[in-house]
Amino acid sequence: MSRALRCVGVLVALVLAPRTGRPQGVAGQVGIDAEVIGQAIAITSLQNLAFGTVLKGVATTVLPTAAGAGEWQVQGTKNAQVIIAFTLPTQLVNVQALPGSAMPISFTPTSARWNRGINDVTGATAFDPVAGTTGKIGPPANPYLYLWIGGTVSPAATAKPGIYTGAIIVSVVYL
Amino acid sequence: MRRALRFIPILLCATRLGAQGVVIAPHAVFIDGRARSGSVLLYNPNTEPVEVSISLLFGYPATDSLGRIVLRTIDHPDSTMRSAAGWIQAFPRRLTVPPLERQTIRLLASPPPGLPAGEYWARLVVAAKGGQLPVTGVADTAAVKVGLTLEVRTIIGVYYRQGAVGTGVAISGLRTALAGDSLVVWSRLQQQGNAAYIGTVQGLLADSTGATRAEFKAPIGVYYTMEPRYAMRIGALPAGRYWLKLKLTAEREDLGPEVLLRSSVARDSVQVRIP
Repeated sequence: MSRALRCVGVLVALVLAPRTGRPQGVAGQVGIDAEVIGQAIAITSLQNLAFGTVLKGVATTVLPTAAGAGEWQVQGTKNAQVIIAFTLPTQLVNVQALPGSAMPISFTPTSARWNRGINDVTGATAFDPVAGTTGKIGPPANPYLYLWIGGTVSPAATAKPGIYTGAIIVSVVYL
Repeated sequence: MRRALRFIPILLCATRLGAQGVVIAPHAVFIDGRARSGSVLLYNPNTEPVEVSISLLFGYPATDSLGRIVLRTIDHPDSTMRSAAGWIQAFPRRLTVPPLERQTIRLLASPPPGLPAGEYWARLVVAAKGGQLPVTGVADTAAVKVGLTLEVRTIIGVYYRQGAVGTGVAISGLRTALAGDSLVVWSRLQQQGNAAYIGTVQGLLADSTGATRAEFKAPIGVYYTMEPRYAMRIGALPAGRYWLKLKLTAEREDLGPEVLLRSSVARDSVQVRIP
């Protein structure tokens, strides 16, 4: 059992602890464990989307299967279905240059992937991050959903040197 | 300085973040109109503090033109919509959750006087900032470096129940189509009563002997009207006539019966011809 899973257990055990009037005893213990996983959700950013150093005037793509892809882990109720939506930037800002220095970033219909229960992008389902998708959290033994995202940056030949950055927001909605 | 600069590309490469996120419980909040309050617990299981901001919006699951389930958000819901987003407040709205600690978010409802009986909805948005790219301390370089931070928003349902509430669902327009090795199923689902229909949709394909040849099962929430699309893998079935049977029950694996509203089972079926 992962540390995060244990943490969920601890948290919801705390939530449930003050409740009274529920059947107690051995069966009660088992019942609490069952509710623990069922009532909490955690989304964790595992890895930022990193393009590293890019060449001026040359578009650079990071595939969702690449080592530089962004990655999240969603931990929640077994077999639950969730809506996955992204808020994507269209421009990245140079945080070192004068204001107005920006770089376009784009995403294709296969720039994102999700996988049920398994942290393995190769077997994951591709989807369009602009449209979003619905995903399903894993079975009881593995109540996770993993997300990956890549993209393409297109630095102009005249791009100012420096570090360009932005933020990708993933929203996970329980039905 | 030059020595420090050498590390920047390394830092911008895909280093694993220390896991950054926050655990949220429960994932749906039901507020009784007599109590007018609820709470959500946040827990930070990681070794770094997490910045969290809380907000409420009005939105509900709906379907797009392709039958995909999406969250439809409405910034300015009119009086005909069952929005509670304008009169439920969360406290605090900004906070930092220290490592291995928990914080409680209180939800307080101040419904307008004379609010008719029924269920009113909002969505609680818990936004947690992930790790920031290490971009400070860099003065000059000829290189162009690019990286994006990841942020997360967890959106959970908030249901305010005023007085007597009841729910149901009506199925119409059930139809199917073959697509490769799958059977695609569409139907029109219309919420009944004065509360959302929270339940499970199940579909099965039966042959002429009544044996189940394929099935699917998914949680569903019907707030107004939706037309979801489900694809059920059927493989290579013998040619013939089959029945697609659709059933909606007010039961969920992830929600206890104490918060779900009872409703009779809704059923429909349609004949399917496999060539």
